[in-house]
Amino acid sequence: MTYAYLFKYIIIGDTGVGKSCLLLQFTDKRFQPVHDLTIGVEFGARMVNIDGKQIKLQIWDTAGQESFRSITRSYYRGAAGALLVYDITRRETFNHLTSWLEDARQHSSSNMVIMLIGNKSDLESRRDVKREEGEAFAREHGLIFMETSAKTACNVEEAFINTAKEIYRKIQQGLFDVHNEANGIKIGPQQCISSSVGPSTSQRNSGDVESNSGCC
Amino acid sequence: MFGRSRSWVGGGHGKSSRNIHSLDHLKYLYNVLTKNTTVTEQNRNLLVETIRSITEILIWGDQNDSSVFDFFLEKNMFVFFLNILRQKSGRYVCVQLLQTLNILFENISHETSLYYLLSNNYVNSIIVHKFDFSDEEIMAYYISFLKTLSLKLNNHTVHFFYNEHTNDFALYTEAIKFFNHPESMVRIAVRTITLNVYKVSLDNQAMLHYIRDKTAVPYFSNLVWFIGSHVIELDNCVQTDEEHRNRGKLSDLVAEHLDHLHYLNDILIINCEFLNDVLTDHLLNRLFLPLYVCSLENQDKGGERPKISLPVSLYLLSQVFLIIHHAPLVNSLADVILNGDLSEIYAKTEQDVQRSCAKPSIRCFIKPTESLERSLEMNKHKGKRRVQKRPNYKNVGEEEDEDKGPAEEAQEGAEKAKGTEGGSKGVKTSGEREEIEMVIMERSKLPELAGGTSMQEQNTTDEEKSAATGLESVQWSRPFLDMVYHALDSPDDDYHALFVLCLLYAMSHNKGMDPAKLERIQLPVPSAAEKTTYNHLLAERLIRIMNNAAQPDGKIRLATLELSCLLLKQQVVTSTGCIIKDVHLACLEGAREESVHLVRHFYKGEEIFLDMFEDEYRSMTMKPMNVEYLMMDASILLPPTGTPLTGIDFVKRLPCGDVEKTRRAIRVFFMLRSLSLQLRGEPETQLPLTREEDLIKTDDVLDLNNSDLIACTVITKDGGMVQRFLAVDIYQMSLVEPDVSRLGWGVVKFAGLLQDMQVTGVEDDSRALNIIIHKPASSPHSKPFPILQATFVFSDHIRCIIAKQRLAKGRIQARRMKMQRIAALLDLPIQPTTEVLGFGLGSASSSQHLPFRFYDQCRRGSSDPTVQRSVFASVDKVPGFAVAQCINQHSSPSVSSPSPSASGSPSGSGSSSHCDSGGASSSSTPSVAQSPSDDPMTMDQPQPNIPDQLVIVNETDADARPSKSPARSGDMETVSLSPSLIPAQQPSISLLCEDTADTLSVESLTLVPPVDPHSLHTLLPPTGMPPPPAPAAEGTVTPDEEAAPSGPVGPTEP
Repeated sequence: MTYAYLFKYIIIGDTGVGKSCLLLQFTDKRFQPVHDLTIGVEFGARMVNIDGKQIKLQIWDTAGQESFRSITRSYYRGAAGALLVYDITRRETFNHLTSWLEDARQHSSSNMVIMLIGNKSDLESRRDVKREEGEAFAREHGLIFMETSAKTACNVEEAFINTAKEIYRKIQQGLFDVHNEANGIKIGPQQCISSSVGPSTSQRNSGDVESNSGCC
Repeated sequence: MFGRSRSWVGGGHGKSSRNIHSLDHLKYLYNVLTKNTTVTEQNRNLLVETIRSITEILIWGDQNDSSVFDFFLEKNMFVFFLNILRQKSGRYVCVQLLQTLNILFENISHETSLYYLLSNNYVNSIIVHKFDFSDEEIMAYYISFLKTLSLKLNNHTVHFFYNEHTNDFALYTEAIKFFNHPESMVRIAVRTITLNVYKVSLDNQAMLHYIRDKTAVPYFSNLVWFIGSHVIELDNCVQTDEEHRNRGKLSDLVAEHLDHLHYLNDILIINCEFLNDVLTDHLLNRLFLPLYVCSLENQDKGGERPKISLPVSLYLLSQVFLIIHHAPLVNSLADVILNGDLSEIYAKTEQDVQRSCAKPSIRCFIKPTESLERSLEMNKHKGKRRVQKRPNYKNVGEEEDEDKGPAEEAQEGAEKAKGTEGGSKGVKTSGEREEIEMVIMERSKLPELAGGTSMQEQNTTDEEKSAATGLESVQWSRPFLDMVYHALDSPDDDYHALFVLCLLYAMSHNKGMDPAKLERIQLPVPSAAEKTTYNHLLAERLIRIMNNAAQPDGKIRLATLELSCLLLKQQVVTSTGCIIKDVHLACLEGAREESVHLVRHFYKGEEIFLDMFEDEYRSMTMKPMNVEYLMMDASILLPPTGTPLTGIDFVKRLPCGDVEKTRRAIRVFFMLRSLSLQLRGEPETQLPLTREEDLIKTDDVLDLNNSDLIACTVITKDGGMVQRFLAVDIYQMSLVEPDVSRLGWGVVKFAGLLQDMQVTGVEDDSRALNIIIHKPASSPHSKPFPILQATFVFSDHIRCIIAKQRLAKGRIQARRMKMQRIAALLDLPIQPTTEVLGFGLGSASSSQHLPFRFYDQCRRGSSDPTVQRSVFASVDKVPGFAVAQCINQHSSPSVSSPSPSASGSPSGSGSSSHCDSGGASSSSTPSVAQSPSDDPMTMDQPQPNIPDQLVIVNETDADARPSKSPARSGDMETVSLSPSLIPAQQPSISLLCEDTADTLSVESLTLVPPVDPHSLHTLLPPTGMPPPPAPAAEGTVTPDEEAAPSGPVGPTEP
């Protein structure tokens, strides 16, 4: 289970928008969603492949901790990516996005990749927030946008992976300091060994050189 | 991570998914478990899938069929889990089990189901199971599991976790062992768990006692040590920094410290008194006082004691006061800083250290003698022996008596004393305390005396002051406070001063702070009802900072200045007025005057100056200083620098280059102006240059009789097509449709700022223009967003050209007027820019202004047409202002810079522009006079309409990315340079030239018109023709259109 990088994600948004279901849907395909069963988790991990690199995504749900300022604060700071989720059938969850986003911007590193997700796209008949509104909000605030359904798994994969791609792109551009774990990015175990010998140079290579992607 | 294959367990038949959620299936899985009690390589996959399926069925059962849970309990299936776990079955199985547990506890919705799961203590057995925590995945799942459980804690469930008789509380004690885990997410989870536990403990005395007696001291002492170690690392990071290279690491350490403070604050605001006492004690005596406060004092003293540097200590203390508002803690801390004496700390600590190191009340920063894990272990065993005897907080002390020496009595005495005082004092003995306070009382009278006597007296330096107090009480000095003031005096830079100001600000804004504490140094809390005096010592230092900031080479950063202004206001502004002494006000006015000079120096009339001016105003008002955010930024911990290459915010560093110097000068000017106005009790009437409320908005109904309107078809990007009339006001263009209820009136369907507009011709259609208007970006993260992106098709190319010109002229005109207002603000003589007015507004003749204004009257209460008129009437003054031109000469060329290149423009379009301007100059002579004639007083009334509209425009880009604004204005330039626009500008040049010729007057304007009649004739025929296929509505408009061109002809020709 080696990996080139580990990205930490957080999932934020009002309660009941389906954060933990999204998480389970993405991290564990064995739990197939069926109509009479909703299961969610607060933590999950999964390996994905981006540009031939194995990347481990670790996702932490922040649910239930909103009442403690220190906790939300720390979570934001420790993550490289955030999925900001609302429920397309409940407008109020959309209306609260601004304050979620404010929080996120306030506490996170400026490089954190935020993806806006309108969940429950399977419930088209009960739709309360137009797709265009989500798009407009995302455009205005510089977010990536996607509508998903944790139930039908529609776009779930893409949401997490596109976020990872964006993070990876930022790493390539040198925007993220990958040696600084506080950013929510960790270099895989193998790389760590080399890094302990030669602090920066060897580590840098493993991150920057595209060609040796196969090994990890 | 997990294989994707599924349902190869459910008997391998494909249809399994149908009845996979059923009691029967659970029974089947149970069978699988009973047949595979031992984990082997062969059955591993089977077991994992079985466990996973069980999870799914249980959740399904919880939601659909309670018999499932009954079966689970009946068969004691949890035991299988434990059994599998204990076989060291490897991470694959472990992870599955932990995931299963996570899912179970997270998704169970029925209380009873939850109780089933929790009964029998199996969960606790799993909690204490020694997993392989070196595996990051297991660690993550495990801590998530604990976190999930902690979220399920409540009065009913708590008994499943906390065992009163055995003093076991595995969930909590196992969790806190990871409080310093290297993985941040794990630490966060631990904090979450503890907070959830503390919250529940409020309603559970036994548990509370357990937490406090058995775990609080070990946990808090270790936590405090952990925080302190980070602080020392942080300090090292600052000390060893070269060329700001440590900034990344530093900002993490700072964020980490903030996390800790927020966490401590979250504990404190749960408001569990028992715990808070212990925590406050530890924080004060083991961290804040010995490490932070002591470092304020002379760095050489104190021997081997761990220390941090002065700026770091000031910075961290500010954070403490900004975040933690727990009264007993902040008051004790403030007390020592403001009134404290070194002996109080040192003398005591020396003795204490000898006594014992592990006592919470000892003032020193030292490593706990035991690791957290071990002390928990020890406490637990002790508990078993003794807890029945006297389960009391004091027991903690007693128990440790065993290992530690004597002298505990005094210790306890002190603790008791503190308890009775509501824990408000983290001090050792009360005798000393009284003595200190007495001294303070005497001292606090000093400034009053001084204030009463003379200014000289007030100007006494710190040294003199402290010398004076030294006479009164030799042994009591206030080294920390002295240091605080001293740091404000540094003439070289504001490195320390910024922190000191933050600290003072933070203390005075701390909700837990006893105002009396601050009054002793005459630092009033913001809400203080009435003040009669203020701290002159501090006020003078603040004013000195302001004065310094207004110097061309001042080394004061904008953040420091803004904070100084805040603090000064806080000191002298009361609900009834301002109590500042005249002499101080005079000094402040001096500083303000300096700042005006400073800006004047940069007022070169560069085109960009206006954009900068408005942008700075906007960013200053939109983002007022937030001290808490300021103190979250690690970059200010490093010595102030000037280069933007560091990525440090502009306000937190010195300016680099002329542009930034200009921006800085502008800001200093704004701040001091605003402060001065406020202290003198005068309202701001000049700024901002444009107000939102003065703008025309969608759905406004305007009287457009006699206005220039151009009919057009607006084709939006998505293919929509509407008929509208284009009207150009001073700052805005609007698209209106006729108001059905009143002839000649129009309803605004869209209004956009001319400044935000990009106009381009359409290649193959001379009647059409592409127009894009961007909306100001609301945050730095967003891109400018087009609110209008459309093609405007006019009835013929002439109308098209006219429209284009109006838009282009409007922009130039608006900018000029604003520049004049700035000049007025800077007490610069105002250039009579009549020509521009007459020209730029050419299309909008005075008769056209009025309807807009009239209409607006209802909305803009202040700007009343009569005032306007009076301004118009002041034409005669213009010549007198000719003096101003020498200054303005600088500005005018740049404004008109595009025009020289315009000279080669096609004559056809040129003539049309002349036509326009001619019309304007003749019929709008009053308006021409308007701006030049204004002295600052008359100016503010009519002007707001104008500039405001412009302000909003700029907001967009400049705000988001300051560096962009030059580039953007460049864009604008190119826009205005587009071929067909150029002719329009040409006249303006000629006007300008005449203008600078000193003799400019209303007369000079009439010089232009002669050209017009000429060209008018060429123009008129097309306009005169009935527009061919125009919509019916246009008929009413066409007269208006013609009114403008034809109007001029009459007046000018004579």
